[in-house]
Amino acid sequence: MSPVPPILELRGVHKRYTVGAGLLARRRTLTAVSGVSLRLERSEVLGLVGESGCGKSTLARMILGLEEPSEGEVLLDGRPISRLGRLERGRLVQPVFQDPYSSLNPRRNVAAIIGLPLAVHGVGTAAERRDAVAEMLGLVGLAPRHAEAYPSQLSGGQRQRIAIARALVLRPTLVVCDEPTSALDVSVQSQILNLLLDLRERLGLSYLFISHNLAVVQMLAGRVAAMYLGRIVEEGEAERVLGHPRHPYTAALLASVLTPDPSLGLPEMRLGTAFPNPLSVPPGCAFHPRCPAVFDRCPREAPALLPCPEGGRAACHLIEQPEGGPPPPRLVQAA
Amino acid sequence: MSGTADLLLDVRGLEVDIPVAGGTLHAVRGISLAARRGETLCIVGESGCGKSLTSLALMGLLPPSAKRRAERLSFAGEDLLSASPRRLRALRGDRMAMVFQDPMTCLNPSLTIGDQLTETFLRHGKGNTRAARDRAVTLLERVGIAAAANRLGQYPHQLSGGLRQRVVIAMALMCGPDLVLADEPTTALDATIQLGILQLLAELQREMHMALVLVTHDLGIVARIADRVAVMYAGQVVEEGTVGDVFGAPRHPYTRGLMDCIPQPGRTVPGTRLGTIPGMVPSLVGELRGCSFRGRCPYAMPACAEPIALREGPDGHSWRCVLPAEALARAA
Repeated sequence: MSPVPPILELRGVHKRYTVGAGLLARRRTLTAVSGVSLRLERSEVLGLVGESGCGKSTLARMILGLEEPSEGEVLLDGRPISRLGRLERGRLVQPVFQDPYSSLNPRRNVAAIIGLPLAVHGVGTAAERRDAVAEMLGLVGLAPRHAEAYPSQLSGGQRQRIAIARALVLRPTLVVCDEPTSALDVSVQSQILNLLLDLRERLGLSYLFISHNLAVVQMLAGRVAAMYLGRIVEEGEAERVLGHPRHPYTAALLASVLTPDPSLGLPEMRLGTAFPNPLSVPPGCAFHPRCPAVFDRCPREAPALLPCPEGGRAACHLIEQPEGGPPPPRLVQAA
Repeated sequence: MSGTADLLLDVRGLEVDIPVAGGTLHAVRGISLAARRGETLCIVGESGCGKSLTSLALMGLLPPSAKRRAERLSFAGEDLLSASPRRLRALRGDRMAMVFQDPMTCLNPSLTIGDQLTETFLRHGKGNTRAARDRAVTLLERVGIAAAANRLGQYPHQLSGGLRQRVVIAMALMCGPDLVLADEPTTALDATIQLGILQLLAELQREMHMALVLVTHDLGIVARIADRVAVMYAGQVVEEGTVGDVFGAPRHPYTRGLMDCIPQPGRTVPGTRLGTIPGMVPSLVGELRGCSFRGRCPYAMPACAEPIALREGPDGHSWRCVLPAEALARAA
């Protein structure tokens, strides 16, 4: 065993659900996550990107211990999550969810919301908990008077600060942020992103940062992983993945980021209208019906996640083609 | 290009008041807008700035408690302020159509796609059932839905979010409107799907020579699709002009501030802090005097507490700020 295990390690994690089992309906298996292996080192920020339905939230739920993998293992700090007690787990990993309107109990005041993890796990005396809550309020940039407020009296940005304070009150090492700024206005989003950067520096936190917005991920993440229909299709240093994406899907995600530059029009994106359906994953490379660079090998054979010459890994037959070599792709008609 | 014949929507001094517990909420405070045929106008702003109420007010779809006033509100030369409800119903869906944000709530779950597409066409007396069906199939194909004829019998829940929004767009186009008003048409969708919908709207707008009014909070969308942009803050248009002028050389500190808040790949250095706009939007209940942004503005001065006149530059670029035009350029 290495001296310092990664804060998070996923080993071949699968998650399958059975759906449609009813009268006359055939039982079908929905594979939400399919063989994901990832590592997240201490103090690192890993950005996880992909479209809705790609399995990124299911992955987050397994990392938080809210779902059990059908196969494979989730390790926190080198230990299997299934063997951790609730408090142990809570001190390692905590969530911040997307919608600060539905993730806070409207009938509890701010102090009770932030202090709840301490109360649930019976950590400290009542006075110690009060102090911890006051400290958290200061840490996330709220005034002591906010302790008595209720969520309905606060703005979206203030609510998200409370969600962050609640996540940090047990002093976890890893915070899973699932689209933490998607419900917020841009002027509030920038404040929350700045706060997350500050907290990481001050507390040495690690983030798994899930977002569909690559511009936001680029700002925070040191490493990036792109998911498509339950699989990691590309992973590596953020600079490399976002600067020189090797998987056509990552490139398409990147092309769909609309920067506010009026000299550029709407980018061309040749992804077609085929919507990815996790109930009928295409054979071979799951991305091939939408891929602009598809060739004859793609529908037949699923590409493995292989190291790229530039660093990181990508699951695409194209990376096995020599660069600058003869043009490989013989296009097939996408369905 | 900007001749008066092309002027479809002409709005002067539009106000929307909503009675609330503590008095009157002045949600829209005297805005002026113009939408021309063949042009895309974006109304951009953050939550609560009044952009959605503005679009509802233009269509005459405000909730009954809301009070609308305007110096002028005309569509293709026709006064909408004095138009009867019957006349408005005749215009809506026919010559002016609306695309709403959430396709799940604006499609009826118990009616087929076909029923909902043909309804407007038949109601406005554009032809018989046969013609309505043909038009529906043509438009579904046009918005990129394969096997369109088979889709007519399907229900909204059988379609993905992206397809549903395409259906809603097709529905808006059934009668060949002159003006389409789209309120956050892609906000609920993935970026890749969003791009497809925006390309479609831009294409259809050019092809059918319509006026497109797009309401959004996303400056990226505005930059890529708009001809003109109106930036709204606290119920007012604080800056308006061609998208090149407004984004290239913003004259209002709020516009400048919004631009600085957005992370931009290739420009924002990873790990550096983004710009922020401290503070909160002021309450719009009761009378507001002076610039409503002054409490959050880094350039605020005593003159900001006085009523702010609209200032104008070339190409119809206008803004409500007392700062000299060079002040923001230097800060950038």
